[in-house]
Amino acid sequence: MSNKTVVLAGYARSPFTPAFKGELAKVRPDEIAAQVVKGLVHRTGVNPDDIEDLIMGCAFPEAEQGFNVARLVTFLAGLPRSVAGTTVNRFCGSSMQAIHMAAGAIQMNAGEVFICAGIESMSRVPMVGYNPMPHPQLYKDYPQAYMGMGETAENLVDKYHISREEQERFAVESHKKASAAQKAGKLSEEIVPIETENGTVELDGCIRPDTTAETLAALKPAFSENGSVTAGTSSPLTDGASAVLVCTEEYADKHQLEKLAKISSFAVSGCQPEIMGIGPVESTRKALKRARLSLDQMDVIELNEAFSSQSLAVLHDLDPQRQLMAKINIDGGALALGHPLGATGARITGKAAAILKREGGRYALATQCIGGGQGIATILEAV
Amino acid sequence: MAGIEKIAVIGAGVMGSGIAAQIANAGCEVLLLDIVPKGADNRNQLAESALQKLRRNKPAAFMQEKFSRHIQPGNLEDDLDRLAECDWIIEAVIERLDIKRKIYQTLQTHRKSGSIVSSNTSTLPLEQLTEGMPDDFRHDFLITHFFNPPRYMRLLELVVSEQTGKDQEARIREFADWRLGKSVVDCHDSPGFIANRIGTYWLHAAVTGALQHNIDIEEADAALSRPAGVPKTGVFGLIDLVGLDLMPHLFESLEQSLAEDDPFRELGPMPDLIQDLIDKGYTGRKGKGGFYRLNPDPEKAEDKEKQVLDLQSRDWVKASRPKPKAVKAARKGGLRALLSHDSALGQYAWQVLSGTYSYAVSLVPEVADDIESVDRAMRLGYNWKKGPFELIDELGTEWFIERLEKEGREVPHLLRLADGRSFYRTKKGRLQFLNVKGDYQDVERAEGSLLLEDVKRAGKPLVKNSQASLWDIGDGVTCLEFHSKMNSLNPFIMHLIGKSLKLVSRQKFTGMVIYNEGTNFSVGANLLMLLVAARLYLGFAIRVILKQGQFTLNKMKYADFPVVGAPSGMALGGGCEVLLHCDAIVAHAESYIGLVEVGVGIVPGWGGCKEMLLRGKNSTMLKNGPMPAVSQSFETIAMAKVSTSAFEAKDLLFLREDDAIIMNRDRVLQAAKQKVLQMAENYQTPEKAVIKLPGPPGKAALDLAVVSLKKRGLVSEHDHVIASELANVLSGGDADMNDELSEETILQAERDALVKLAGTKLSKARISHMLFKGKPLRN
Repeated sequence: MSNKTVVLAGYARSPFTPAFKGELAKVRPDEIAAQVVKGLVHRTGVNPDDIEDLIMGCAFPEAEQGFNVARLVTFLAGLPRSVAGTTVNRFCGSSMQAIHMAAGAIQMNAGEVFICAGIESMSRVPMVGYNPMPHPQLYKDYPQAYMGMGETAENLVDKYHISREEQERFAVESHKKASAAQKAGKLSEEIVPIETENGTVELDGCIRPDTTAETLAALKPAFSENGSVTAGTSSPLTDGASAVLVCTEEYADKHQLEKLAKISSFAVSGCQPEIMGIGPVESTRKALKRARLSLDQMDVIELNEAFSSQSLAVLHDLDPQRQLMAKINIDGGALALGHPLGATGARITGKAAAILKREGGRYALATQCIGGGQGIATILEAV
Repeated sequence: MAGIEKIAVIGAGVMGSGIAAQIANAGCEVLLLDIVPKGADNRNQLAESALQKLRRNKPAAFMQEKFSRHIQPGNLEDDLDRLAECDWIIEAVIERLDIKRKIYQTLQTHRKSGSIVSSNTSTLPLEQLTEGMPDDFRHDFLITHFFNPPRYMRLLELVVSEQTGKDQEARIREFADWRLGKSVVDCHDSPGFIANRIGTYWLHAAVTGALQHNIDIEEADAALSRPAGVPKTGVFGLIDLVGLDLMPHLFESLEQSLAEDDPFRELGPMPDLIQDLIDKGYTGRKGKGGFYRLNPDPEKAEDKEKQVLDLQSRDWVKASRPKPKAVKAARKGGLRALLSHDSALGQYAWQVLSGTYSYAVSLVPEVADDIESVDRAMRLGYNWKKGPFELIDELGTEWFIERLEKEGREVPHLLRLADGRSFYRTKKGRLQFLNVKGDYQDVERAEGSLLLEDVKRAGKPLVKNSQASLWDIGDGVTCLEFHSKMNSLNPFIMHLIGKSLKLVSRQKFTGMVIYNEGTNFSVGANLLMLLVAARLYLGFAIRVILKQGQFTLNKMKYADFPVVGAPSGMALGGGCEVLLHCDAIVAHAESYIGLVEVGVGIVPGWGGCKEMLLRGKNSTMLKNGPMPAVSQSFETIAMAKVSTSAFEAKDLLFLREDDAIIMNRDRVLQAAKQKVLQMAENYQTPEKAVIKLPGPPGKAALDLAVVSLKKRGLVSEHDHVIASELANVLSGGDADMNDELSEETILQAERDALVKLAGTKLSKARISHMLFKGKPLRN
């Protein structure tokens, strides 16, 4: 088996806009993804003929995201017919999984250059799909297999005794950081403007700079009558796509592509589905171990904010002393930016790499929780 | 004749904006303009905030949310040029002659030639409004007086002058009738026109009378409402509803313009009480309350105790819902028994109503050409069941005259002219009224409209029982009419439907319309019958009733002729299920359709579940796959969604995409009849339906959704029980997603679910609560 250095050599995404009322609500997801992929190819300058495969993560790959959407996006993005396409589903971890698959293939000498992308239009394909049909017996015997995400977030609140105020503070911070990054132009660098029938969309639409503890305190619990998780402490339903270029370091150097970071290790893990939000703890530990690193060696951390309570529970286990807060999601997280399920993994991995490059430092971690009770994590190293 | 497509409304107050909303409902573009408030940042502020209010209005001003987009808010400085696009400009500004005249000057410079200008004035004479205006303006000008709320009140009072062009008058008449759904009543240019002239007299007489004779407000309202065919708000409740602050305006304008010897003046000035209440913020329901209020004590806010003003102590006391003897007498003996009742309340009712009715009689022909216009105005503008002349007929003209004479009161000319004859009569099957010359003449209906009432007058039913009848409405088309209490459905009605189907087929009629002229098409199945059976544990009896209904409605669906449902008002539960089995629906825009069975703890059992599934499967609005039709039907039925208009009924799939919606109530039957005739050409009985359903996975998916609602405290344990049964029916029970299920399979599941639920204690409690308290119980 070869032992190559796999690098991220490009990251791009669409603006993330709120489902149903945002500017991308009326744009087909395959179209959004195609424009992002096209943008990435253009920005990186990679020769499209060299691309082995387009691996596309999607949590609900049906309707406009159906028909093996990855292959269709190769057509829409004008990639050569020689580029293959596969759609993968690990719910919220789908497009991080895409990166892992590319890295694995590279190590197996099964290709040199990959585009790993993610897509989700939560406006156009509902979160359970159009035809949810649970296994009746499993549902009866083990209902948590199908448990709603909000309920799992409430379970973590109970398990970790997380106060509503704490959740709200965390959400306010996320909006503050995202808003500051937006103002400083740090988000526009990664955004590929999307051309729509109603003009060009280039700004993220979920960020609310005016979010305060008071505004959040006024919201009603969203999932449980006596609960504490609200719409303000949950990531919003979002439309968007993301993509990264994954290749060998050798290829990048040869073609003078800009390397963002190299992939050191990665891992997936399983946990109890009713507390799926805790997933990153185990996957992070596994990935760190494989990279022979410790958490305090991380300079940049992207921890997906599916819910405030979920992120806080993860930090409770991984960082009980709260020493890492200044390194986490410095350009804001999903609570503010939004969480188009299939697209988030490539976003946070690409983002972690981009921040590592921008801010300096050696190691970065990108990790996220996954519905059904899983975690996924990637460790990056500066090049 | 040039049509009307684009309209401007000047003045974004309650009336102006309400009129704009109804025009938007008609599918027309509306420009809504008001002044630029001093120092305003947003120059369209008034029109925009009016639009926002309209969107929140209860009852809804828009028939479908998206209709609000037809309204473009603007202002009277920047948007005047846009008036040139408008075919009709409606002025609905404050009732001040100087202001209105100024606006007309402005309109005159900006409007396009041939456009129509009308005023929504309720008080100012046309003659004064157009004084000094050029001839072309007078040619294009008339008064169109709408009633509040403009969507729901069917009356439009129309006043024209001799100069008004006949062409312009005809354009408005047609638009108001066909597009806005109004019944146009021609009024003379007299103060307050018809409805408000009589209505204000009536309200004033009732208030002053109650003060004079120290009549309890609740008793007054009890006496002046139902016995006289008036909504239960009566008089004081009505004043609360329209707003006490409206009274001084109505008063002032009438006082200014009425003749010195007008009987209205004899009632005296507006009582100080009203102004006092207004000053204290008691402007009616929109304010702190009025003659009635909800207990403002925050400690008692929970129980929302209703209080009523005690006219003596001038304080609010707990409402007691009295049942005075005079009112009880009226239940048996009608209005005459109330007015003859030997009690203070009987006396009071006589004083108020005899005064009002006499006043109305004395106003013809001052306010209108004929009595029919007056009666129609009071019915449609004040929601009276009968107009004053119809009420006098109910009392007997002779009796009425005699009593007036006995009291030494003046007998109005027209009443004298009647000379003991009734104001209305039926001659050769036609309704006739007494004209001002003392002759009878036919009541004319708007051209092209058809009323069952007239059909019934002219002939006998083809078949009937105590609950329903079948009529021949001409051209080979029949009309099935429900006439049970509140048009509720029961086995007798099902029996008559079955009989009618046979008759229509055997006697080779072209088809059948299901229609009636009650307030509501049908409020659903008779619950008493269900409750009794449930309490006696007669599951088999419920099963028989269900089977009979399902069998009959399926027969109807697969009859060899077209059946068209034509609802107006509520079509709930079983009423909705009847419609769902029709080949097509021609609905009045004001149709409130829903399967509300869960409110009484059961599921639809006359094929409602089955038909909703089939509609879902056939709808182009839903995505493919085993679940969407099931999920949509589940949501609609489990949440007991009721459409707030026929347009919304389309969104909910109660109506098909190509079903017709008719704005004017009086044109529904004719349109439904035309639909039958149209469908009868090449009519083919529909093919038997089969349906594929998801089976247990589908049920699990629906349960997931209900469980999450339950976590949020939005559904109760028993709601969950009902939802599970419903989910079982809609998902096809144990079926595999590739099985083709027959209609009977789903019908069987409906019956099983309903019988099971009707046997539960909590569902029985729901049925009983609805029956005896008139509202759903959440348990």
